[in-house]
Amino acid sequence: MSDHPKPLPEISDETRPFWDGTRNQQLVMQQCARCRHIRYPISRVCPECLEVGHEWVPLSGRGEVYSAIVFHQVYDKAFADDVPYNVSLVQLDEGPRMFSNVVGVPPSQVRVGDRVRVVFDPVTEEVTLPRFTPEDS
Amino acid sequence: MHSLKDRTAIIGVGATPQGKLPGSTQLSLAVDAFKAALDDSGLEKDDIDGLLTFPGTTAPEGPLNYLRVGEALGIDPAFTGSMAMGGGTAGALVQMAAMAVESGHATAVACVFGDAAKTGGSRFNRASGWGDSWGIWGMMGAAANSAVAASRHMALYGTTSEQLAEVAVACRRHASMNPNAVMRDPITIADHQASRFIVEPLHLLDCCLISDGGVCIIVTSAERAKDAKQPRVLISGMGQAYTTRTLEREDWWYVPHQKEALDRAYAMAGLGPQHIDVAQLYDNFTISVLLWLEHAGFCKPGESGPFVEGGRIQLGGELPVNTAGGNLSESYMEGWLHIVEGVRQLRGQGGERQVQGAETCLVTGRGMTLNCSNAMVLTKGEA
Repeated sequence: MSDHPKPLPEISDETRPFWDGTRNQQLVMQQCARCRHIRYPISRVCPECLEVGHEWVPLSGRGEVYSAIVFHQVYDKAFADDVPYNVSLVQLDEGPRMFSNVVGVPPSQVRVGDRVRVVFDPVTEEVTLPRFTPEDS
Repeated sequence: MHSLKDRTAIIGVGATPQGKLPGSTQLSLAVDAFKAALDDSGLEKDDIDGLLTFPGTTAPEGPLNYLRVGEALGIDPAFTGSMAMGGGTAGALVQMAAMAVESGHATAVACVFGDAAKTGGSRFNRASGWGDSWGIWGMMGAAANSAVAASRHMALYGTTSEQLAEVAVACRRHASMNPNAVMRDPITIADHQASRFIVEPLHLLDCCLISDGGVCIIVTSAERAKDAKQPRVLISGMGQAYTTRTLEREDWWYVPHQKEALDRAYAMAGLGPQHIDVAQLYDNFTISVLLWLEHAGFCKPGESGPFVEGGRIQLGGELPVNTAGGNLSESYMEGWLHIVEGVRQLRGQGGERQVQGAETCLVTGRGMTLNCSNAMVLTKGEA
């Protein structure tokens, strides 16, 4: 492992519920109190209707690969030991999309349309990253 | 909307040598490009009363770049500013210049860019996304966003890496006819396939260069450009559009705003894809050219892969694209040289790579995390 630290989320009052959720093995996102839109990335207001009020709702953690790429180039030396690694844009069943990694399969075997489910990777005491793995694994 | 159709013209273009230029700085390149464009235009320095700049990646003063460039050139402008939209900046600034000229805020506006990105070590490796950056998952660098688009396009439409290679091969062939291009040795589809992966599905030869260089474009009224030193090139249509949302837009990867920008430019010009003789399409990565071809109506959505096969976008083909070599092979001037090449083609100054009888040129630009786009229809003004 490289001893160069990987980037970590900056946890703030606004984002803490998301990271508390992943630490507790749950993927949660903000749902607008007014129009019910589930939004991601995390933000102060609903980008559909600008309502501030929201609740953090648990998602199924299931979805499908919307786009899949494989990093061979090392842009940040913290990832030098990881290449080649997959990054996927994941379409969650409840509507939002997020970037993450599909793990548990060789990176170049991840295909657009593959069904995936969330897995939780504790990378520090405070931060557990949501990643994804094939649904049937 | 008040139409700017044929109201303004590009009267001067200039570029420095391109590539690796040790000892150059953002400022020295910007200044040299300005002098070259001024000379090309036949105007005097005191004629320039508007100054718009793009700080690039190496101007230490960032968005205050207009002050530094203005001081170096000894210009106290009536209208000025700097803007940063990556590869979308050049077109946005030229369009802003045209609006300033039309509204009387300035009579001749110099749009200036310099960047010592190669010798300055710019890596273009920033993670995209705000706040909880995508970098957490190792999603970083400019190539990744275009790789997302390529992966999706391939899955939906069966587009192949060999079809992407057609774009790289065409740009390189055109660069081989451009004395100021950085990469001039012809390549084949096999060379493209053999080049290493950067972010799969993109190979090294799907990616643009990183270059030092400067470019300047001077805009004035169509009337004033009439009896100028150079043949007149009119801005007949212009349009812009932006998708600031990324994950929240299901079709973000497909850069739908590009079509809006193009439709606006076509509508203003009263022209369509069937009228375009030559196109300079922003090519940070090969996939970008495919998406532009679809949005610009040269082929249907999903059909750009087969469209580029068989040399159709090469000189001598149905639609010559990036006739100077583009960002992929001429130099990575973030789209500034695309406008310069459009002007040169319409003036008939393309030399070995001239598209015979070219009277209309489509020029596009796109920047940031696939967010910013613009398009212009340039036409040959009557003598």
